[in-house]
Amino acid sequence: MHIRDGILSPEICVATGLISLAAIGFSLRKLRVDLEDRAVPLTGMLAAVIFAGQMVNFPLIGLPVSGHLLGGVLAAAMLGPWAGCLAITLVLVVQAVLFNDGGLLSLGANILNMGVVGAWGGYSVYSLVRKWCGNGPLSAIPAAVIAAWLSVLAAAALFCVEFGLSTGSREFSLRGIFTLMVLYHALIGIGEALITGSILGFVLARRPDLIPTPASTGVVNGTGRFVTAGLVVAFAVAAILAPLKSDFPDGLDKVAQETEINTLSIERDGLILSGYEVPVPSGFWWSTAATSLAGLLGTGIVFAMAVSLGRAARWKLPTLAVDGGHAG
Amino acid sequence: MRASVGTGPGPCRAIPPNWKLGLTLSVIVASSLIPLEHWPAHGVLLALTFAGLSLAGVTLTYLARRLALFLPMLLVFGLTVPMNQVDRSAAWAWTIALWMRCTVSFLAGLWLVHVLPFAELLSTLIRWRCPRLLVAMLAFMYRYIFILWEELARLRHARDARDFGRSTLLIRWTTNAQLIGLLLLRAMERAERTHHAMLARGWDGSPRFLADDGERNDV
Repeated sequence: MHIRDGILSPEICVATGLISLAAIGFSLRKLRVDLEDRAVPLTGMLAAVIFAGQMVNFPLIGLPVSGHLLGGVLAAAMLGPWAGCLAITLVLVVQAVLFNDGGLLSLGANILNMGVVGAWGGYSVYSLVRKWCGNGPLSAIPAAVIAAWLSVLAAAALFCVEFGLSTGSREFSLRGIFTLMVLYHALIGIGEALITGSILGFVLARRPDLIPTPASTGVVNGTGRFVTAGLVVAFAVAAILAPLKSDFPDGLDKVAQETEINTLSIERDGLILSGYEVPVPSGFWWSTAATSLAGLLGTGIVFAMAVSLGRAARWKLPTLAVDGGHAG
Repeated sequence: MRASVGTGPGPCRAIPPNWKLGLTLSVIVASSLIPLEHWPAHGVLLALTFAGLSLAGVTLTYLARRLALFLPMLLVFGLTVPMNQVDRSAAWAWTIALWMRCTVSFLAGLWLVHVLPFAELLSTLIRWRCPRLLVAMLAFMYRYIFILWEELARLRHARDARDFGRSTLLIRWTTNAQLIGLLLLRAMERAERTHHAMLARGWDGSPRFLADDGERNDV
């Protein structure tokens, strides 16, 4: 997930860095109100847990690689979006500066993709789904599963946009990379959703008081939550549907071609999004099919996981242990 | 867990932390801005970072291990572009430039983590007027990373003692999730206890740091 230095252009790194700085500043301001004097120990400890939790590898079926927790939605579900965003930011800073995992110049882009989209966006989807499910404690699991998957896909789509803007090349297509990213992150998203749901289910069975209902925290207002969730869903949908972009002209272009108005059009160089060419899809039908199939399969798997994890938690809840889980 | 922070003496350690960060960022920005046509400049940057790494005491074995983890991902990522083109010349040029940029940046980052101890990073962040709350959280997180890591190692040890390292994929996923869940519960309880201890010592939510000159000041 971490973007390395050299992949994005310095301009995009600076732009994403500025957005991330604004998001961090806003989160810090909000955090002082929400957590008061508990902000430092709770957020610092949560960041340390996510950092340690990322060291636990989850084996993948039939593959010689393993996945790990990303933690944006988990952190936001535990302490709210502001603390969640800051916790992921701290994790990314430590990973970059102490372990050289992720770039220094691209730290802003990493914070934007994983911290802001993961925690703010993930929390918005999480709180909306919980609200639709009646805000019961068990609704936290399907809500977290859906939010985790969507936030990973949205982060992948955002990376594609950043990468497309960084490259800005018309000489060759970037479709291969975009397809690879969406396929890879659709899989990562399923893993992240499953891990987040399982951990939340475990915590919910032992200390349900640690997972507040979004309504009781009052940290995000309804409109902001709706808009942010909409953005995350839009990015996730864009990630799935981008390779399906039609190569045929749209209605206006068609009329322009038929009436030869297009001969009067002026070709302007340097327009980054001219002709919706950031994803630059062309050729290779299989990648289109594979990407969309992955998206559809992913959606089905995530919804199945959301339902089954919710049911499993319901089955486990009567045997609540309130000792904080000191076994092992 | 082993952070790649150099602790021994060396010429690079004597450089002020501001300069270390500035130097690293300069190399990364320069490698991003230099076009492929000026490849000798990339070669100079590569030679400089290698020299820096050897001065920082990085062994070839360690370097090879880190590059073995880093390069395959980069190669696959870069190869995706020319493999998907009809006219591959422009794409190949772009891919080679990407490999060069990323490798130089990676080595520069590796140099930084070897010469910048965490305490220096914190003091630099304070000097750069980074929000106090964020620096305090970072210090708190760093303090507890190693404690939680040891706790996680103990939990893993207990798990392995119970299943002898042999279990199905489903069981491994379940136990791993429980492992993190348990760590999370214990950590949050520890955070509550630590918060009470901080309150008992007069914590009011405003972080204070010992300034570099030894005086106790609000930063």
